[in-house]
Amino acid sequence: MRQGSGGLGRDIGRAFPLYLMLLPALAYLALFCYVPMWGARLAFMDFSFTGNHAWAGLKHFRTLFSSPAFGAVIANTIIISAMKIFINFPMPIILAIMLAEIRSKKMIRIVQSVIYMPHFLSWVVISGIFLNLLSLEDGAVNRLIVFFGGKAFPFLTQGTSIRWVFVFSEMWRSIGWDSLLFVAAIIRIDPEVYEAALMDGAGTFRRIFAITIPAILPTIITVFTLNLGFFMNAGFDQVFNMMNDAVLSKVDILDTYVYRLGLQNGEFSYATAAGLFKGVIGLGLIFATHFGSKRLTGKGVW
Amino acid sequence: MRGSPRSPRARRAGIGTALNYALLFLLAFMTFFPLYNILVVSLTGPAKIAAATGLSVIPRDPSLATYLTLIQIPKVARGLVNSIYITVVGVFVNMSLTCLAAYALSRPRLPGKSYIMVFIIVTMIFEGGLIPDFLLMRDLHLLNKYASVILYKAVNAYYLIIMIRFFEEVPLSLIEAGKMDGVGELRTLFSIVLPVSKAGVATVSLFYCVFHWNEYFRAMIYLTNPDKWPLQVVLRELIVSGDKAAFIGALNYLKYDVGAAQVDMKALKAGVIVLAVLPILLLYPVLLRYFSKGVLSGAVKE
Repeated sequence: MRQGSGGLGRDIGRAFPLYLMLLPALAYLALFCYVPMWGARLAFMDFSFTGNHAWAGLKHFRTLFSSPAFGAVIANTIIISAMKIFINFPMPIILAIMLAEIRSKKMIRIVQSVIYMPHFLSWVVISGIFLNLLSLEDGAVNRLIVFFGGKAFPFLTQGTSIRWVFVFSEMWRSIGWDSLLFVAAIIRIDPEVYEAALMDGAGTFRRIFAITIPAILPTIITVFTLNLGFFMNAGFDQVFNMMNDAVLSKVDILDTYVYRLGLQNGEFSYATAAGLFKGVIGLGLIFATHFGSKRLTGKGVW
Repeated sequence: MRGSPRSPRARRAGIGTALNYALLFLLAFMTFFPLYNILVVSLTGPAKIAAATGLSVIPRDPSLATYLTLIQIPKVARGLVNSIYITVVGVFVNMSLTCLAAYALSRPRLPGKSYIMVFIIVTMIFEGGLIPDFLLMRDLHLLNKYASVILYKAVNAYYLIIMIRFFEEVPLSLIEAGKMDGVGELRTLFSIVLPVSKAGVATVSLFYCVFHWNEYFRAMIYLTNPDKWPLQVVLRELIVSGDKAAFIGALNYLKYDVGAAQVDMKALKAGVIVLAVLPILLLYPVLLRYFSKGVLSGAVKE
């Protein structure tokens, strides 16, 4: 009878050492994650080096929304992100299906261990590799173009082409690794279903569209919504490491804008406002995709 | 006549399979070659470096001149040491905080567990942003200290959850048996849970390890003194600035035995990229094994 509250009290007492073990991590998160969240209120203040920031209301947001540069930055973010999602999203799925068609286990392992590699490289390294690959004089791509009688093309200094460089370098980096979840989902499909389809004389494409894709659809939807949730990111590291002054107006995205204004020009409040704007849109997208995904597949983002 | 005539379907499937193999090989080749080419360029000797291109397959006049020059450049040598220091200390801090917290959260019936999980998961979906993070570091007087980079993402909520999953798999009977003998929670963690979850510890340590090794942006903005920069930041400066004299240091320009003046900028860049990738390459077989397990265990939700 006294089990109820007395039991809970005793449980908490017994769990005391566990709470102590939790303390360092929770204190860390409180200081290094929650304090900056609270710090984002700087967007509504005028930064002062003495620490006495005065409230400024929506001033910085008004400046932000009336600035033509900001409009261009939003447009760049959306264009680059959309290009990446629509072109790159299906790739790992196609790759996983292609891998599943291969019988030789050894062959699968060899291909996988090569194409997973770029996932472990930093964006600085990948940028170095792509700058080398696309260099005007020595780059492999331009060498090939010249070899086949074309004219070397300055991929990195043209606004439209560098956006494609972002798309392809992202694909180069993640097509292999991103296929992992889909490969795992395909492996979970009951082989008997395939055998039955084979008996019925279903061809390869018939099998893929009638069995494989429907079976992995929940995984596809979950991964897609997750990607949509991070839509406003557009790949800071890539843009930051590959951009140059010649293409700035075509590639400047929200995160690079925040960096330039905040850390290079010292406009802390204004940059915080731009960052907060991005954060709120991102949060909205994550919640929207979470509930959307829950409705569609019964599985949310978290 | 021996052998059965092949049906048109079988022949079509044959072509499809061949095409599938060919495309996968092409993908693997396109992933591998740009990396391999960087290695080739870095190993090409000063006499032939001018002729090395993005299509070079074998290092002509093979020599270690690039690397001999690189290790004499203080920035590079210091960068290597800094990277190793930040990674080793960083992973130690990460694992201490993560394992303690994950153990507590893996215990069944920890009162208030769901609230604590919400507290942790919130840090996955919302962050204060770049400027508030930076100002917090400034307020804590951590700018230009290694601690700023070591403490960046010291607890990663995603990795913490993976660790909890691994700890939850430890048979309860093992832990209960220890409890009977009056073993405390901390001892249970170190003498029972950790030894049984070696795979989990390896997985999560490797996650953190790759994260620290590849991190460059926070190091670049928090560490104002270039002497403290990790290798990735040094590499970024080299790739972005591309100025040999600035990189080597005008005063040191002529005093190298191997003749830095003769070593091409292209080769220096390639050499630093190889140095930055080397640890990842050495660990790659291990990374491959544990990373895929970790990702899949994190993705499979109950």
